[in-house]
Amino acid sequence: MTGARPRRAALGLLAVLLLSAAPARADLFYDASAGAFHDDNLTRAQQSADIRADGAATLAATAGWFYAASGADGITLAANANTEAYARFHGLDVVSVGAGAAWRHKFGLGYAAPWVSLAINATHDDYRDDLRDGSRFDARVEFGRRYTESFDASVGIAYDRRIAKNDEPVVPGISGKVFNVRGQSAFARAAYDVTDRLQLGARLAVRRGDVVSTTRRNLEIFEASDAIAADPTFGDDFFAYRLRGTTRTASTNLSWALSEHASVNLSYTAARTLAYDGLDYRSNVGTILLAFRF
Amino acid sequence: MAALALTLAASVACAQDAIVATVIDQHGKPVADAVVVAVPTDGAMRLPTRRDAVVDQVDKEFTPKVNAILVGTSVVFPNHDNVRHQVYSFSRAKRFELPLYAGVPAQPVLFDVPGVVVLGCNIHDWMVGYVYVSESPYFAKTGADGKAVIADLAARAYVVRVWHPQLDGTEESTRKTVNLAHTRRAEVDWTLQLKPEVRVRRAPVGGHEGHY
Repeated sequence: MTGARPRRAALGLLAVLLLSAAPARADLFYDASAGAFHDDNLTRAQQSADIRADGAATLAATAGWFYAASGADGITLAANANTEAYARFHGLDVVSVGAGAAWRHKFGLGYAAPWVSLAINATHDDYRDDLRDGSRFDARVEFGRRYTESFDASVGIAYDRRIAKNDEPVVPGISGKVFNVRGQSAFARAAYDVTDRLQLGARLAVRRGDVVSTTRRNLEIFEASDAIAADPTFGDDFFAYRLRGTTRTASTNLSWALSEHASVNLSYTAARTLAYDGLDYRSNVGTILLAFRF
Repeated sequence: MAALALTLAASVACAQDAIVATVIDQHGKPVADAVVVAVPTDGAMRLPTRRDAVVDQVDKEFTPKVNAILVGTSVVFPNHDNVRHQVYSFSRAKRFELPLYAGVPAQPVLFDVPGVVVLGCNIHDWMVGYVYVSESPYFAKTGADGKAVIADLAARAYVVRVWHPQLDGTEESTRKTVNLAHTRRAEVDWTLQLKPEVRVRRAPVGGHEGHY
């Protein structure tokens, strides 16, 4: 946790500067959400003996501004904070602060005009267990279109980078920065308004890049890894291994609008990762979230 | 003198003639924002002096959401939000675009063809509004109780019809004939089949997808 306070203060200051610099014709918005999720394979392990499941409560807040630069272009700047508190594995408890920027361009007039958006985000994560501390960056390009008043879809590509703060090697000559990871993704997303209140959403994604699997000592994974560190979050005999892998993700979301400013969201995400040397693991995440826009 | 008094009495009686409309939906609930229009069967209409109408933009919504005007009326689209809007319509009755603006546009928009004009904002896709351009000066919009009164009608027969943004069917299918020649107050009821509202504004959808 040490050293995180100045960084948080700097990010907070950045957020204040961004918001105070908002042009007179910018639209300020404030989002908040509270919820919980359950992940049935937090360790991202293949062997059932290594798999650990847990649930967490989440709180998130975003403050931002939107500026219509032209009739076709919108710019969004936002600062956000997020926290997760786990029921069992408290080493995963995290406080994150970050900022993001996005530009969206519509090719024409009307709600059905196709659009493209570019978005970048930077986040600093401060975990209770220092091994996972670090910063995350991601950039995304997305093309979308609303096909009818009740159906819209988009496709995109993304790049993600996570930089670990701490290097805790356990094997001489092998990096201990297991959470120094990067990857590239392609995704497709669609949403359908079933009724005036109920929205059904789906998302498919494929990501190629570094993944981290935490297991007890495992020679096969060890040989395929390029970074290893002890991971006491899950027990004294657990190690985190970084490997190259491909993750396929499918998500569905049910959103019930309580009003124009609030919604209840239920989502389920199933992921399967195939990594070098036959490592094959799956995870399932269920989430309930109450979202507000003020 | 007696003839003059009779004429005056008749004109007062005419001025008090009215059609009282009640609109409910398929679930029996009152329908607000339905436009009820009465057209004299003999085509005789006294066209009043037209004044500009206003469709405001407040909290990133059109206010009122449904506005009924007489054909030939100009509409001003003031923007009372902090963010700029770009109002447009692709409707056959009026195609127009107000380039990105704040405050009050310099020129109002003339609606010179009867019909329904659907409004949108190119910045905020959920914004939707309607301007009902009536060929008849005799129209009214229902309130929250589903009732509308078209007053000051002359004693003659009218074809009345109703329109609503969520109407599942044609406006023409709602036509009814009302004769005020023998009664000063006619009540007309409709039960409309309404479609679900679309382009609903909602809080952003989020979710937790786990980590890699």
